[in-house]
Amino acid sequence: MSSWNDDEDLASASAAEAATTDVELLKRAWRNEKAAPEILRFDSPLVSRVREQIQLLEETLDDFSDSGVDDLVVSLYQMDLDRTLFLLRSYLRLRLQKIEKYAMHIARSDDLLSRLSQQERRFTKSPGSDGSAFLVVGLVPSCSEIMEKHLEQSVLSKLPYGYDSVTRQSLSSTEDDMVPEPQLDTFVFCKTKSDVGAFQLDDIGEEVVDLVADDLYVLRYKSIKGLIESGRIDLI
Amino acid sequence: MYGRRASQLLKEIDSSEADQLAPFNSDVFDQVIRECNEHNSQFQSLIRKMVDQNLDIETTRNEDHYGAAIHHLSLLRNKRCLMAYMCNRAEVIQSFRWKVGPVLPHDIQEKLHFSEKEYFKNHSAAIKSYMTEMDIDLTVDMVPPKDPYIQVRVLEDIGEVSLDDHSISLTKNSLHFLRRTDAEQFISQGLMEEFLE
Repeated sequence: MSSWNDDEDLASASAAEAATTDVELLKRAWRNEKAAPEILRFDSPLVSRVREQIQLLEETLDDFSDSGVDDLVVSLYQMDLDRTLFLLRSYLRLRLQKIEKYAMHIARSDDLLSRLSQQERRFTKSPGSDGSAFLVVGLVPSCSEIMEKHLEQSVLSKLPYGYDSVTRQSLSSTEDDMVPEPQLDTFVFCKTKSDVGAFQLDDIGEEVVDLVADDLYVLRYKSIKGLIESGRIDLI
Repeated sequence: MYGRRASQLLKEIDSSEADQLAPFNSDVFDQVIRECNEHNSQFQSLIRKMVDQNLDIETTRNEDHYGAAIHHLSLLRNKRCLMAYMCNRAEVIQSFRWKVGPVLPHDIQEKLHFSEKEYFKNHSAAIKSYMTEMDIDLTVDMVPPKDPYIQVRVLEDIGEVSLDDHSISLTKNSLHFLRRTDAEQFISQGLMEEFLE
């Protein structure tokens, strides 16, 4: 029994080690972002660390070509660099595409805005804009404004008074019911990293599931949101 | 039947292939807009009729009230359909920025509503400004890299191009072995294609 435990300890230790490189961490963030229906928190320190490493690798490659290192070694390094660059680009792209899709929804929520990087925030919502400052000279309009303007001039301006709001269906709506939102109760595939124990899937405690380390589950995104944020479970 | 025309627009979206854009259906679109205004004037006249009869609009439940409700709800449904039509098209248009580039070819341009053209332009500018701020080009590297070098065939005369430390002459139909990152910009512009044996 003890040897079995040792093995497991070893395995989890090496897994933890493997997950500590920044590229691995980025890969995890990328995978989570890919599978989650809503935008997740942007890890600014991680991204800037990865960018530094990319720069370092580029410089190393330059040195290699100057000092005539074996082509095979150079191409292996190049490969590594290309993969990391792809990962970074794909991660940033993925986030932009998610923002594009739900720009208006994100732009009206401080919580969601706080998950974005500074540049993403500017992409989503112009600073200090409440619709009025639309075409400030020299300022590129943000994603949410562009969408609003587009809907305004193609559809809303042609509808009768009372039905021309971009966020509400009509004057009789008491809340914003016209803004597309991500489906948070969709099912996602996920993998536990460590034992979580008995976990409550709903608010009333009728559905409890025992989450064991390194197991696969299909659960509602909404219920495991907190576990993803704290890094105890990964989406796949 | 009320709302049928509007649902036609959505059926069109639904039946077109993902990432493909059908020409903007201005015929049906305008008809639905007209329908909306018709619903509104019917709604208004029914309400006015109730007011003229000195009925309380809030509490009266006669045939005029239900008539007005149906016009109101039909209008809402039409609005939702129109907005969904535009939003779904806008999503495809967004994807063009990544797949086609900042300038749309003529055959796509023709399918767009004037506001959609403007939308694409503004949206491209927003992405460009983000990329400048981040100092990273996100339009390359669209697929995971397998090999750092790829074989390409030049589709149109490009001329002398300097890559990194050497320059090569890219003439039509010539084959080259290039770094994938170098080749990608030409491929996305349609000047080259990957040559697969």
